[in-house]
Formats: sequence, C-alpha cells, structure tokens
Amino acid sequence: MAVTRQQDKATVPDRTPTSVRLAISATDDFSPGLKGFAERVRSLVVGLGITARRSVSRPVTLKYPAEKVELSPRWRGALRLTGVLGREDVALIEGPASDYNGLIDDLYRHDRLPPCVGNCPANVDARGQSFLLADDRAAEAYELVRARNILPGVLGRICHHPCESACKRTYYDEPIAIRPLHRVAFERYAEHRAERVAPLPVTREERIAIIGSGPSGLAAAFDLMHAGFEVHVYEKEHAAGGALLSGVPAYRLPRDVLATEIADLQTMGMKLLTGVRIGTDVPIDHLIGEYDAVLIAAGLQVSRMLPVPGSDAQGIWGALDFLKAGNWKGGCGVKGRRVLVIGGGNVAVDCARVALRCGAAQVTLSSLESMDELPAHPWEIEEALDEGVIAMCSYGPKEVLVENGRVAGMRLQSCLSVFDAQGRFAPVFAEEFTDVPADVIVFAIGQAPQLAELVSGSDLVLTERGLLPVDGALMTTQVPGVFACGEVVTGPGSAIASVASGHEAATSIIRYLDGRSLSEGRVYRPVPVYPRYQPATLTGVEPARRRTVMPMAKGADRARDFRQVELGFTHLEGLAEAARCLRCASEVCVGCTFCARTCPDYAITVERIDDPGHRSVTRYDLDLSKCCFCGLCAEQCPTGALRHTGQYELSFYHRDFAVFDRHEMVRSPEGSRATGADCRGCGDAR
Amino acid sequence: MAVSVESRNLVSAPDGGSREELVVNVGPSHPSTHGVGRVIVHLDGDIVVKAEPVIGYLHRGIEKMAENRTYLQVVPLTDRLDYVGSMYANWAYCRAVERLAGIAVPERAEYLRVIVCELQRIASHMMGIGASAADTGAFTFFIYAFDQRERIIELFERLCGARLTYNYVRPGGVSFDAPQGWTQDVLAFTKAFRAAAADLDRLFFGNVIARGRMKGIGVLSADDAVAWGASGPTARASGVNWDLRKHDPYSVYPRMDFDVVVGERGDAYDRGRCRLLECVESCRIIDQAISQMHPGPVRTEGLPRLLQPRPGEAYDHIESARGSLGVYLVSDGSVRPYRMHVRSPAFCNLALLPLLAEGHTLSDLVVVLGSLDPVFGEVDR
Amino acid sequence: MSAAASFGWGALYGLGASLVIAVAALFGVWAERKVAARIQMRYGPLEAGPFGLLQTLADTIKLVLKEDVTPNSADVPVFRIMPFLVFVPCAAALVVVPFAAGWTPFGIEAGALFFLAVPGMSVLGILLAGWSSRNTYASIGGVRAAAQMVSYELPRSLSVLALCLLAGSLDPGVIRAEWSWWWLPLMAIGFVVYFIASIAELNRGPFDLPEAESELVAGYFADYSGIRWAIFMMAEYGGLVAASLFGAGVFFGGGFGLPGPVGAVVFVALAVAMTICMVWAKWTFPRLRPDQLMSFAWKVLTPMALGQLALVGLVLPWL
Repeated sequence: MAVTRQQDKATVPDRTPTSVRLAISATDDFSPGLKGFAERVRSLVVGLGITARRSVSRPVTLKYPAEKVELSPRWRGALRLTGVLGREDVALIEGPASDYNGLIDDLYRHDRLPPCVGNCPANVDARGQSFLLADDRAAEAYELVRARNILPGVLGRICHHPCESACKRTYYDEPIAIRPLHRVAFERYAEHRAERVAPLPVTREERIAIIGSGPSGLAAAFDLMHAGFEVHVYEKEHAAGGALLSGVPAYRLPRDVLATEIADLQTMGMKLLTGVRIGTDVPIDHLIGEYDAVLIAAGLQVSRMLPVPGSDAQGIWGALDFLKAGNWKGGCGVKGRRVLVIGGGNVAVDCARVALRCGAAQVTLSSLESMDELPAHPWEIEEALDEGVIAMCSYGPKEVLVENGRVAGMRLQSCLSVFDAQGRFAPVFAEEFTDVPADVIVFAIGQAPQLAELVSGSDLVLTERGLLPVDGALMTTQVPGVFACGEVVTGPGSAIASVASGHEAATSIIRYLDGRSLSEGRVYRPVPVYPRYQPATLTGVEPARRRTVMPMAKGADRARDFRQVELGFTHLEGLAEAARCLRCASEVCVGCTFCARTCPDYAITVERIDDPGHRSVTRYDLDLSKCCFCGLCAEQCPTGALRHTGQYELSFYHRDFAVFDRHEMVRSPEGSRATGADCRGCGDAR
Repeated sequence: MAVSVESRNLVSAPDGGSREELVVNVGPSHPSTHGVGRVIVHLDGDIVVKAEPVIGYLHRGIEKMAENRTYLQVVPLTDRLDYVGSMYANWAYCRAVERLAGIAVPERAEYLRVIVCELQRIASHMMGIGASAADTGAFTFFIYAFDQRERIIELFERLCGARLTYNYVRPGGVSFDAPQGWTQDVLAFTKAFRAAAADLDRLFFGNVIARGRMKGIGVLSADDAVAWGASGPTARASGVNWDLRKHDPYSVYPRMDFDVVVGERGDAYDRGRCRLLECVESCRIIDQAISQMHPGPVRTEGLPRLLQPRPGEAYDHIESARGSLGVYLVSDGSVRPYRMHVRSPAFCNLALLPLLAEGHTLSDLVVVLGSLDPVFGEVDR
Repeated sequence: MSAAASFGWGALYGLGASLVIAVAALFGVWAERKVAARIQMRYGPLEAGPFGLLQTLADTIKLVLKEDVTPNSADVPVFRIMPFLVFVPCAAALVVVPFAAGWTPFGIEAGALFFLAVPGMSVLGILLAGWSSRNTYASIGGVRAAAQMVSYELPRSLSVLALCLLAGSLDPGVIRAEWSWWWLPLMAIGFVVYFIASIAELNRGPFDLPEAESELVAGYFADYSGIRWAIFMMAEYGGLVAASLFGAGVFFGGGFGLPGPVGAVVFVALAVAMTICMVWAKWTFPRLRPDQLMSFAWKVLTPMALGQLALVGLVLPWL
C-alpha cells in the first residue's frame, strides 16, 4: 500500500538501507466472486483435513508412566550437596604407573579431573596433596606426590608449576601454592624417612639398565622398581642428578635435597653406577646384551652456539658449561668481570644469576624478544632484575668484538619483531647497532644432545639434529629392548615433562618385558583444555584467604652467594596454604562459600570452621523457597559437590528451608530433605 | 488513572441524551489477557467505547533489584522479564554489559546467540499466534503451535538445562557450548518446522472464519505505528519496514541472508501472519548460522568473576520477538549496576490497545489484544 | 389413558431418558476428549479404566463431591433451579427419537414438532442462568445464547419440515419408516442445514459464543460449580446425542432403512459418526463473532433451508 511505503521513508529515513527488499508480505486475501467462495469452502475442508491427518499420527505427548521422561544432563533441577567437608574424604588419585593414564583419562571423561592434575605433565595429584597436608598427614602427602613426581623436594623448588597456572582458585583470588607445598611435604617427611623408606622387593628376574640419572631416568627407575625389577642406573658424572645437578644452580636447589631424594631411591633398591661413560667406558651393545631392557635418558649435554663472527674467541661460554663450572665446580672465573648473557630463556636467567653469585661486576642479559615476550618464566625474570641483572631486550647478537683473541664486547642489533603473523620465528632487525663491552659472553640459546659417542657400535641411528628418533608415545627406538625418554626425545623441556616421559617409558618397558603389545589398550595421557584465568581483583578478599607469600631472601643479600633464595613455609603456613585448596571436582563441599556469594537470591548460607588441622562445614542452608534455579551456584562450585538433581523444580512438597546442620551432615546423604532424594518417580539419574 | 469499578455507568451522549454503559473488567484473572493484564472495557451494547489497559499486576521491581546485584547475578533476573523469550532479555542485557565493560565476544558465542535467539523467536511467535488463535476459539491451532514451541524448548533444555528461564547468554559469551549432535537436531527441527508452518498457515490463517475474525480488526496505520513507538511485528504489519537486525545490524546478522516480513493493512490478521512468516525467515537464519559456525571458545577467556566496568553508561538494543528491546545501564565503577532500565517493546505495543480496540465489539477486543502479543512480565518489569 | 397413568409413564420415560443421557454424556465426554486429544496429537484419558473410559465417571464423582457455590449477589432460587430447566428439555428430546421404524419411545404424532420445540425451551434456562448469576460475563453469555438459539431454531425447523413434507407426517417414527434412498440427494442441503444449526443450537464450537472461554470466561455458567455445572455439561452432551440420533433417524432412515439388528448397528454408527463430526469441527475451526453468527443464520442458513423446502415442494406433486 502506497501510504505505508511513504510513511516508511518519511519517518525513518536515516537508517533504512535502500537495499532492503520488501520481499515478503503478510497480507493474503481470498479472490473475489465465485472463485473466492470456492476458496472459502476449500479452506474449511483443508482445515478438517489437517486435523484429521494429525489425529491419525502418533501422539507427541508422553504416556505416563509407560514412557519415561528423559531429562537433559544439564537439567537445572533442585540442588543437592553430595559430599561435605569433614564427613567425606577426598578421593586420592593413585594407582600403578602402568594404569595411571587410564585413571586420569577416566576422570577427565567424567569431568572429575582437577585442573591442577590435568595441567601437570606427570598428573601429580596436587589436590590429594593439599587434602593430606591440610589433614596434617604430611608423610602420606609426600608419598602420594612422589608416586608421580619422584623428587617432590627437588621439583618443589624448581618446577615451573603448570598446576598453579590452571588452579581454579585464580578465578576467585590467587592460586594455591602447590609447588611450595611439595617442599613443605619434603621437609616434614624428614622425620618419617627412616621408618618409611624401605627396600622394594625384587620380584622379577629381568634387569634393566638406565643411562642417565636425570629426572626422566629416575622416574623410570622408580616405576620399574615398584614393578619389581632390578634397576641399574649409569651416570657419567660422579654424582647422580643429571641436569638437576649440573644445570640447576644451588640457590634454587640445595644439593643436599637432591642427594637425600636420590639416596631414598637407592634405599629402595636402585643401583647407581656413577662415573661410567657409556660408549666410551662401556659400549652400549654390551648393555643391550647384558640387560633385558635399556633405557636411554641421557639428556642434553651441549650448548648450542651462534655462528657469529668471533664466536671462537677466548671468554665465550656455552650455557651448560658455564652453569656446571659456576655452581658445581665452584667458580667460573668471572669474579670482577663484566658478563653478557645472550638468550631469554630460563637457562639464560640462571646463567645471569649464577654469574652474579660468582662475583661478576656487571651482568647483562640480552634477548631477541621484548620484555613481554621473554620465554623465561616471569617470576624468574623478576627475581633476576631484583638481584641486579641488567636486561637488554629486543637485541640480536651481530658479532663478537675481539681484542687480542679475547672477548672485548659484543655488537648488538636492534630487533623489531621476533615472530611473524603466523607466530613463526622470523626476526626482523633494524639497522641500528649497539656495542656492549663484556669480558665474558655466555650463549644460552638452547641445548642439544650429544649421543654419537653413546650409540656408537650399536644399531641405533640418530637424526640430523642429533636426536634419537623414537615413537613419541611409546618411547621405543629402532632396536627392540632399547627405549629412550627425557630430553633426548622431547628436546629441551621442563623437569616435570621429563619426569612424565620417564613414566611413559617405564610403562612401555613393563609391557615389553611382560610380552604384551606396547600400544594395545593403552591409554595415552589426555590433553585437557582448561580455561586460563586472569588474576582476580583482590579487593574485598580478606588476607586470610589469599595465597601465602613465599618468604624470600633480600635481593641484595642473596645475589652474593649460593644460599637458597626461597626460604620456605613454616608448618602453620603450610597447613593454612593447603587448606586453601578448593578440592576441585572432588564432589566434597569445602565450604568455600562461592555458591553463597554468587546466588542472586541469597538462598544459600554456609558456615564453617577453618582452622589449620580442623576444618569442617558446620552449617549449610539452602532455602529452596528462594531458589530461582538459575544454576549459577552449581556452575561456580569448584568441587562439584553442589549439583542439580534430575528432578523438576516444583517436585517438592515442601519447598522450605533445607538446612544441613552438624547432625544431618553425619547422616547418609540419601533421602535428605534438601534433595527430596526419596522421589524416584521422575527419572532422577543420580 | 481513575479506575471505574461500577459495572453500569450512565454517561451523557453527544446528542444531549444519556446512555447506559456496561463496564466489564477483563482481567487481571481472565483467560485471554496473556498473563495478568487487565483491561477495563466500557461497552455500549456490544461495542467497545473505551478500553483502558491497567498494568502493574506483575511488577516485581526488576530494574530496582538489578541495582543490588552483581552484573552476573542480574542475568537470571532478565530471564523473568519476557518469560516467553528469555534469551532476548539475556542478550540485550549482556550486550549492554559488554558495551559498558568493553568485552569482546568470541565468534562462536555470537553464532550460538543468534541461533538460540532465532529459535526463541519461533518459540515466542508460536506462543503469540497460538494464544491469539486460542482467543478466537482455535484451540487445536494453539496446541499445534505449542507442539513446535515444545520442540524448541527441548532443544534449549539440552543446551542449557532449563526450559523457560535459560540464563544462557552471559556477559562475554554463553554459558555452555552446544552439546554433541545439537546442531544437527536444530537443522532437523528447522526442516520439519517449515512443513509445519505451511500447515499452520493453511489451518488458521487460510481459514475463512479466522480471516473473518481478524481481517480489518484493530487497523494500525503506519503513521500511528511510528508515532506510538510500536516495533517488531506490530509495526511491520502496518508496513513500517523496521527491523533492527537489518537497520542497526548487530552480532553476526550482517552475514545472514533473510527478508523482512511486512504487512500491508496493519490489521490483526497481518500482525499474526507476519509473525508466522517471520518464523520461516528465522529458520533460514538458523540454517545459515549453523553452516557458518566454527568450533571455538564460547566465552571470553579470563573474565574476572566480578565485573567492574568503569563509570559510564551504555545502551544497546536487539530485535526481540516483540520489537526493539533495549537495556540501558549506568555504572558507577562498582561491581553492581548503578541503574538499569529496560526499553520494553511489549509495553509500547500494549499502549496501542485503546487506539485499536475502540469501535470494535467485545469479541474483537481479545483478538486485538492477542495480536499485540503482550507479555506482562516485560510490560510491568 | 388416565392422568395418573400418563404421569407415571412420563416419569418412567423421564427417568429412562435421564439414564440414557447420563450414560451418553459419560461416553460423550470421553469420546470428545479422546477425539480432541487425537486431533491435538495427545493420548487423552488413559488411566481410569480401559482406554480411560471411566475418566468421566471419576470426574463426575469429583464434581458431585465439590462444594456447590452460590454467589452472594445471585438470585438464589433461580440460580439453583436453572441447570435443571436446561437439562429437562434436552432429556425430553430423547423420547421422540425414532429408535426403530415407526416407533418412538413416547409416541406422539407431532413428534418432530416436539423435538424441535421442547429443547428450544432450554434457552430460557440458559438466559436465566446467566442473568441470575449477577455476573457481567454470565449475563452477556446468556443474552448471546438467547439470540443465537432463537435464530438457529428457524433453519433447523425448516430443514426438518422439508422431511415432514416428504414423509407426510410429523411423527419421526413414520418419517423413518417412509424413508427411501433417493431422499439422500434430495435432502442433502437440508441435512447440512440441520447439522450446522444443531451445532449452533447446542452452543458448540465454532458457534460456542455463549460460553466463549477467551471472551466470557465460561459464559452463562461462569459462576456454577460442582454438580450444577455438571448438569449443564450433561445437558450439552445429551443434546448432542439427541441431535445425532434424531438426525440419523430421520435423514438417513435409521440405518438407511435396513431392517433388524443390521439397521440398528448402522443407525448407532451413523449417530456416532455425526457426533464425532461435530467434535471434529469444534476442534478444527475458530469461533465466529456474534454478528457474523447472526448474519450466517439469517443470510445463509435460513435461505438454504427455505430453498430446500421449495425443492421438496417442487418434487412433491410427482411422488
């Protein structure tokens, strides 16, 4: 109709695109005259036809009770609390190494894997650790962690703690200090060590040789000893520990901690043969013949160097040699000299800090990446800067300035960007040079394995990059009975990742020696995806709830010697920190009160006692007459203890206060008033 | 407003004499007031001389309650605004929050929002035209329409665990990703719905009695539609080509190919059929959205638990089943909104009732009321 | 026949008719619910008795036990009596239904007239029921009912009158006996008029304006509850059954004039089919507006009925 078009343009002209087509008109009329009469009669007949056709079709409604109502798994029915702190224990995640992946996978599939456990490469049960520590059962906590982590005291100091990055508590305030709690467990294990560490029975005839006593080798040894095998570990240095000993500075990892934990393994039955260089002292073929299985866990031995002009001058160090010289052999000749460290990774930061401790006059860290992109962990960088390391970011090494065959400095070139749009390594440099005077230059740009000597005389073949090719998931090499794990397989990585690969290798070896197929029915570690949380705003969060701050030695003091920087928690601090754990996915309410805080209708009240050593929920009120079934509380619940039932929201006869008090909490959860769990008529799945 | 409670009223007629008016209270408890609406109808014989809508029977103070809740806690409240189309209120509110706090929404979440809101449009229109048809006695049509709505509600139940108050759209995305096989079932639904819609069209909108009841009833001119702030199918049936999905495109609607349905006469029939045909367009949008959707996150990662937007204000609106639904938010920098206001299309459309109903019979009043499709949860707020 | 005997027979027939209507209403309601349910893709009553057959009985027991509410402002005696005044004429209509050729339960020669006139009296009951409730909706419903039922009496009577002309008798039994197959095409228009007018006469959809739920809540019986409400419903279903039986009897000659049990079965089947068609139409179509309803009666149905009468009048001399 003309009027409407005109109106359309007259009143709303500015935002009506002309391209909009008026394609569909809602108006429909009967034709005039006799045809219209026929259409009218036909409309009645058509209507009767439609209803008649529908009347012979199958009814779409339910025939109660012959047809059961199926509810969506996400159904937001009435709420119920499945477990209560103080009444139910948190299930520990433990099992033999060969079945552990299956356990994790099962939990993951059922959405019951805590994010900390899922995000850890070795799936250490951090939740169980917190539970046991809060319960003052430190010895059990230590042993629980050791089952997967092998060296809780060591990793409790040096781990890059992916568990904490996934900690759900970040969403509310701050993550749990899982790594320091390993250390607490280790320290408190001292009093139990004598009685609890005992030789493991050897039940199998087969013997296994492990080359290398780094984290991966020890992890494999631990699992294999538990499976009843005799394990011999060969180490080329004079003390065990591998990279932990040579690469990790003592200010992060005191030597006695490592020694204690390795001594524990030896007490359990691990035979350690130090000072034996396989390939030179003993040919690897000899081992292959002697033992039923051989595991190569030799790690990375050499630093990669940059082929820039002058890199053969005196005063150039590779990172590994520098670290080894610095913190093991005591001093590396940098006292009073200017040190330039090239690289932005954790090893580079370690080199810089070691140089400081060895008495260098000035330590400069030069990296290609900008400050925000540095691959080193932010806390490491922060600590280094705190100690006086000078950072020169976004510079690439151009050439070494050499005077009389000695290093005099380095010419650096400004770097504009390191990665291209696809995230590939493609540095772009500006024509802008800076000369940095230095007496010692340390290249900390990566490490490589040195296996040629080790494998000589065997059928093992190396890749172009010098790595040992393995079936990544099964850890097998080309030679049957020879396995590999750790950084020889994965390339440079974290200690905990090496431990994880050690566990995998041990599983393969056990299957191999049992004569089973290596892959059949084997569950690989699931790759969980957890949301990354931005740190929560801490306004309004009482200090008692926050993360315990790790006491640190003062920057100026600590930079002078190799004493440990982190001072550790006290007993009470440890208890309090462990008690902060939300016990994600444990289905046991910890009284965190996040449901009460989230409820828009103020229908939930939680009261609890929260003293170290004595924690319990004393009262849980769920006023279902206020509940609007929005589901926010159950979504927030980290433990999964508060969940919806498969019931209809109005299926209650009494929608009154549902109060759990102390007495009711001790009772069986079945049939409690809050849930109306007696009612089974409506297809309650749980 | 003076509310007459006398059932018989003697009024002076323009010709100098007087006539007796019968005052009928339609509502607030009445089968065809679509909730708890109330209309005081003055009848001269069977002719409506005056119809005064009385509102407020469902006023819960949602806008005031919002001032006392955090930004996340307000979402369940918005469910209760338009309880026939909760997704819309969720979305309009979340858009306002996102604008206020500067939150970017992942693409998949936007597609899911479009899909659920178009499904919601079908569900809401099925309710609207179904109830409107039931007002004219076509109860079976109402059941058929509700059958379609029920299928959508079951899809929603699988998606978010609730059938009516979804609490699905959240600031920064949606609460859940679609479960396994859900999108296929949605496609199967849209396919089946097209056939069902043709049936519904012939059963009711083609019926001679229905046309007799609805054609020429409650004619709204395009002038009046614009002047009274009508929106949605109510305005489009009068020929006002105004659809926010086209004219103020938001979300991923610019990527969708669909047509706006407009009427020519602006009567109750056009309003009703406009809704039905819009549902078919919604099916087109849903099909396109599903084919364009890629896997990905459905919620902005790393949103803090308590949103704390900077002080300021934001307004955003979307095309709901009833018209342009807008939410205005003011933040004072705290974790709670300082003020929330909802621009409710149902409220504006309901204001047209006196204009449209006067001069018709009492039987037509319910047809007019039904064709405006008011939802009193949104009218009263 | 003495007056006392006549009264006794009348009472007996009344009782019989009431029983028949009660049973018919029980199953009528069940059938309506089942048919409506199937049309709406539901199951309908399932639980009480086989196929939910006893559902109506259970409902009736509930209704009997419910409180019999009388509104404060109601005209109490009238309000209380009116359900019966609606029910009795509907029950009375059954006594002139030709259950067999030449036989009606209450043999009166002007049976057709009785059938058309007596149920028409229930309009008085409906009008007064609405009026005595002192409720705006009920009053409007009552007035609508009066206008509607009076209007539709005419086409309905005219359509039956054409039959009477053909049979040469006002006795439904005789009409049934006289029936022959060629009446079917001849009386087609008359049957359509009779069918539509019967629906309107019974205030059933699409002509259920007096009780239009969406406009008038429940119309004239809005304020009735319990057993009195049930009696209104029984009257409606009784009327439905009577109209179907009578229609099958006179328009189809019972079971197409078939003799014996076969005829009886076909007769009942026809009546059931007509009942189902009425239910079918109710659950398919929207409701008319009052003015449309009146103009349909006066401008469409009445001329059609008159045309039928004229047609019969034209062919009559050749018979």
